[in-house]
Amino acid sequence: MDEEPERAKRWEGGYERTWEVLKEDESGSLKATVEEILFQSKRKRVIESHGQVRLGMVSVSMEDHDLKPNRLTSTLKVDSAAQPSRCTPVGIITTKNKRAEKLTDLAGNPKKHIAALKKAVDTVCVGEPSLYNSLNLAIQTLKHMPGHTSREILIILSSLTTCDPANIYELIKTLKSLKVRVSVIGLSAEVRVCTVLTRETGGSYHVILDECHFKELLMLHVKPPPASSSSECSLIRMGFPQHTVASPTDQDAKPSFSMAHLDSSSGPGLSLGGYFCPQCHAKYTELPVECKVCGLTLVLAPHLARSFHHLFPLQAFIEGPVEELQEDRFCQACQGELKDKSIFTCPTCRGVFCVECDLFIHDSLHCCPCCIHSQSAP
Amino acid sequence: MASEDEINLLVIVVDVNPIWWGQQAQREPEFTLSKCLDAVMVMGNAHMAMTRTNKLAVIASHCQDSHFLYPSKSWRGGDSGAEDASSSGDGKYELLSIANNLIAEEIRNVMSKSEGNSTDTLLAGSLAKALCCILSIKTVYIGRDTKSRLLVIKAAEDCALQYMNFMNVIFAAQKQNILIDACVLDSDSGLLQQACDITGGLYLKIPQKLALAQYLLWVFLPDSEQRSQLVLPPPAHVDYRAACFCHRNLIEVGYVCSVCLSIFCNFSPICTTCETAFKIQLPQMVKPKKKKLKQST
Repeated sequence: MDEEPERAKRWEGGYERTWEVLKEDESGSLKATVEEILFQSKRKRVIESHGQVRLGMVSVSMEDHDLKPNRLTSTLKVDSAAQPSRCTPVGIITTKNKRAEKLTDLAGNPKKHIAALKKAVDTVCVGEPSLYNSLNLAIQTLKHMPGHTSREILIILSSLTTCDPANIYELIKTLKSLKVRVSVIGLSAEVRVCTVLTRETGGSYHVILDECHFKELLMLHVKPPPASSSSECSLIRMGFPQHTVASPTDQDAKPSFSMAHLDSSSGPGLSLGGYFCPQCHAKYTELPVECKVCGLTLVLAPHLARSFHHLFPLQAFIEGPVEELQEDRFCQACQGELKDKSIFTCPTCRGVFCVECDLFIHDSLHCCPCCIHSQSAP
Repeated sequence: MASEDEINLLVIVVDVNPIWWGQQAQREPEFTLSKCLDAVMVMGNAHMAMTRTNKLAVIASHCQDSHFLYPSKSWRGGDSGAEDASSSGDGKYELLSIANNLIAEEIRNVMSKSEGNSTDTLLAGSLAKALCCILSIKTVYIGRDTKSRLLVIKAAEDCALQYMNFMNVIFAAQKQNILIDACVLDSDSGLLQQACDITGGLYLKIPQKLALAQYLLWVFLPDSEQRSQLVLPPPAHVDYRAACFCHRNLIEVGYVCSVCLSIFCNFSPICTTCETAFKIQLPQMVKPKKKKLKQST
């Protein structure tokens, strides 16, 4: 590889760290390290991106590659990642034994994906993954998305090889023309074809160092990337259904099927209440969903509100030493004493906060507790 | 039953909008702010008396600011308030009498010093401070199980400007598994209904304000585990329809700008919020097929 020295350093750095944890056998091959990993915990996650900042709605399809029988996938730390915006449809594709198959279709509700992933944990990993086949399958789904969406594919690859039936560089050209952004998180080592893939399509390629790093990288992908000006902006027609709750004693209440359950054999059948599509009165029990009958996207106002904080991001607070503070050393948010070395000041209202409050404000709250007391705040 | 080590934190946010309470004192002299705070103190004492590990915090939400009534700034660990607490002599648990005295003193300070002339309640700020307080207590007791919930006692009306901040606070609470309960004295609040629905709390509009203490003890004192065994007031019907940005009407079908997510009731070629021009989908032009001339033999 003839990249800059920094990249080579990062690649080696990844290996140095894993050797601290795992043992290397005489030949120095990685097969031994892979077998060690078998007994450690592994993770798989569903990611949803928000549709924001000149993005509109984002579609993400995630591909998961399984290595030879040794590396299994398990524990989902989905809840933390799945809580944010539900505006994004996510689909999951798995690949093994040189084939690719769709695990779940593009859908906005994380529950289905979580359930499917939990089931997939028990499947046996066989054979080699196929990058070409999985990308092909993803393209077929994303091709039909409207122009204002940003299409992304996130690949979690733990294998070092791929078995492709055709030239993958042709596929990369197709991806580029469809404006699909592909990002890769490598679990083992840097693979040249992935580097080319991400460079050409404008995505990012990372190789993890350890589990915490993996979590951080996944969270990075949850944030929506700024959209290029070439993506189209349009007005999307959406429906905001009312939730009707009917009790069995109500005379007019009629039990009905939910449209979402027509395809699946499991799940509840008849139910009394639900969300009725304003256009065609088809019933659904969970939102957001695209109405199967009339094609209208149904959302609730909070679903859109979840993504607002990306449009109006909170400024970073100014860090300063605690000695600078003349008066009482109390954090204005939690009323606790300021024991740490540094304090954080909001540039707008000059409120002083401690380290934990600052972290909480920027990660979850997205608004300064003192600024929102002034009525003119947005 | 909850284990001995579990910490149950209850944060009560009381709306002390002076204009509403002033009008209330004229309308109904039997139920004033002091009576309301008496009920809050009864609720707080009951909560702290249930288990040794229960903790309480009370925040007063004023027009432009929110103040912590209890614990005051000198509190950390709960024992430092003992120096100036004259023992009441009636055998009352000291923690409860300290709490009551502190609340009474602080509310006097708040009402005499703070100024404000708006008729709306800025609840979002108080809730944000409450969440930060809960988080800081969680980090103090980091090894132990902590469960927290928020009880909002609302008097005045909603302020429409704080919709977005309010939603941010609600989602942050939902992420941290913090319930938001609402006890509404006067007019229904759509924001609080949404908050209770999203976080899984209870919303109740009190039919008789005089019985505030009874409602607080009956409905809001049990924590989330015990609520499944009680028959509590049914959930309110929440209106989740969005309001369009141009007329502020509630709409069932609308157009959403893909750039800034603003909602409109009618199609317009330019978004008024972010001023992007939209690409209008024109029907495809079908070229008439050239008819092949028949070859005449």
